[in-house]
Amino acid sequence: MKTQSKSSRIIIEVVMVILSLLFLYPLFLTIINSFKSFGEVMTDVIALPKQLVFSNYTYVWQFINYPKLFMNNMVITTIGLLGIVFVSSIAAYKLARTKSKWSGILYFLCIMPMLIPFQSIMLTVLQISKNIGLSESTWGLGVLYWGFGAPLAVFIYHGFVKGIPMEIDESATIDGASGFRLFFSVIFPLLKSVTTTIVIIDVMWIWNDFLLPLLMVNGSPDTKTLTLAAYTFVGQYTSDWQYAMTAMVMAVLPSIVVFIFLQKYIVKGVVAGAVKG
Amino acid sequence: MLKTLGRKWREKMEFGIFTLPVLICIAVAFYIPFAMTIRYSMTKWNGISKNPVFVGFDNFKQIFMGDTNFADSAWFTIKYAVLYIILVNMLAILLAIVLDMKLRTTSWLRAAFFVPYILSLVIVGFIWKFIFMQGFSSLSASTGWGMFDLSWLGTPGLAFISILAVSIWQSIGFYLVIYIAGLQSVPEDLKEAATVDGAGPFRKFFSITLPLLAPSITISVFMALTNSIKVFDVILSLTGGGPGGTTYSVAYDIYRDTFQNNLYGYGTAKALILFLAVLVVTIIQLSIFKRREVEA
Repeated sequence: MKTQSKSSRIIIEVVMVILSLLFLYPLFLTIINSFKSFGEVMTDVIALPKQLVFSNYTYVWQFINYPKLFMNNMVITTIGLLGIVFVSSIAAYKLARTKSKWSGILYFLCIMPMLIPFQSIMLTVLQISKNIGLSESTWGLGVLYWGFGAPLAVFIYHGFVKGIPMEIDESATIDGASGFRLFFSVIFPLLKSVTTTIVIIDVMWIWNDFLLPLLMVNGSPDTKTLTLAAYTFVGQYTSDWQYAMTAMVMAVLPSIVVFIFLQKYIVKGVVAGAVKG
Repeated sequence: MLKTLGRKWREKMEFGIFTLPVLICIAVAFYIPFAMTIRYSMTKWNGISKNPVFVGFDNFKQIFMGDTNFADSAWFTIKYAVLYIILVNMLAILLAIVLDMKLRTTSWLRAAFFVPYILSLVIVGFIWKFIFMQGFSSLSASTGWGMFDLSWLGTPGLAFISILAVSIWQSIGFYLVIYIAGLQSVPEDLKEAATVDGAGPFRKFFSITLPLLAPSITISVFMALTNSIKVFDVILSLTGGGPGGTTYSVAYDIYRDTFQNNLYGYGTAKALILFLAVLVVTIIQLSIFKRREVEA
C-alpha cells in the first residue's frame, strides 16, 4: 500500500514536470529564435540555432536605443512608486486614525475609483495630462501613476493601520513627536510588510503597463517605455521574426531576472495584495 | 480653553496636510476625467473642431439601436469573460490541489506556472502570435498532428479560442498561488478526520476542501471578472481585432472609436456604458458571494 502510493506520487511528479516544461516551451522558443538568422527562423522554429547569432541583439539594442528605454522605465516606475507610497500611506494613516463623518466620506472617495475601468476615462485623462504638462516627460508619466495607484494603496494601508494600537501614537506624542515626524519615525517602519506588498504589485503593473504609455507617447516620443517600444518595433518588422523575438527577449529579460531573485517575495506580495484587495 | 482650541485647529490642519495630496492625485486621475467623460458622452466631437456639439442622449440611442460593432464586441466580451472565469478558476484549483500534495518539485512548479504572469500582456500576445504563425508549422512538420495545421489566428472561432487560451496561459499562475495559499489554510486534521471517517478523495474535495476554499474563490472570481471584462492588450497584439473584426472586445471597440475613428463623443458614451456594466456586475457579484461565504 505504502509503496504503491509512493510510486503513484512519482508518476504525478513526472507528469507535472513535463507539463510545466510544455507550459514554458513558448518562452524557450522565443529565446532560441532570437539567436537565429532570418533564414533559420523561417525554415525551422523548433530546432536549436546552428550557431548563435548575436547580431540580432546588437541591431535591436541600437535601433530601439535600449539603454534609454531602460532608463525611462526605471524613472517612470521609481517616481510612480515613491509618490504612490508617500501620498497613500500618509492619507491612509490619517483617515484610519480620525473618526469623523468627513474622514469616512473621504476614505470612500479614495477607494471608489477602483471600480472605474481605465478605458472609460482614457481620452479625458490624455487631455488633462496634456493640459497640465504631464504627458511630455518620463517624470510626468510617473506622476500620473500616483493617482491611478492610490486607491488600492490607500485601501491596503488603511486596513493595516487599523490593526496598529493607538497607544503607539500616544506614547510617541508624549515623547514629543508629532505630525510627519511621528508618522515617519514611528508608524511608517511598522508598515514595512504592507509597503513591500504595494511595491511589488505596483512595480509589476507600472513596469509592464501599456495603454497609458501608448496614449502618452503621442505627446512625446521621449516617454517611450520598453513594452511600448517592443510593440511599435514589431509593428514595423512584421515579418522579421528574428528581430521581433530579440526585442521580446530584451523587453521581458529584466522582469524574469528580478523574478528569479525575488520569487518568494513576489509570490507572497501578490497573494497578500489580492487577499487584502 | 485657548490651548484646546489651538490644538483642535492644529489637528484639522494636519488632517488636511496628510490627506490633500492623495485627494488631488485621485481627482486628477479619476474624478475630473470622469466628469469630463460624462459631459463628452452627450456631444458629437471629432477632437479637431473647437467645440463639441451637444446632442443629448443621441449617442446612447445610436449605440443601443444600430451599432453592430458594439453589439458584437459586447457579445464577444461576455462569452470571453464567462469562459475565462470558469476555465481559469477550475484549472487553477486543479493545479493547486496537485501542488498542495507536497511534491519534491512543488517550488519549481509554482515558479514555472507563475512566470508568464510577470510579463506584459502585449508581449505575451506577440510571443504567441509567433508560436501560432511560425512555431505551429514547424511543429506540424515534425509531429504530423493536424491541430498544428489549423489557422489559429485566421479563423473566427479559433481566434477566439486562441485569445482565451493565451489569456489563461498568462494569468493562471496568479490564481494558482491564491488557491495554494487558500489550501494551506485548510486545517490538516480536518482532512485526516475525513479520511478516518472513510471519505474518498472526491468526497473530501467536495465536502471539505471546496467549502473552505470559498474565500479564495470569491477573490479569484472577482479578479477574473474585473480583468476579463476589460480585456484589451492581449487582443491588440495577438489578433488586432481580426479576422474580419470578430475579436473586438468592448474595451478595444472603445479604443477603435476614440483613437482610430476619432469619434470622441461617441467613444466616450461607450466608455460610460462600460463603466456602468462594471459597476453593476461588481455589485451583484460581491453581494452574491458575501451571502454564500457566510453559509460555508
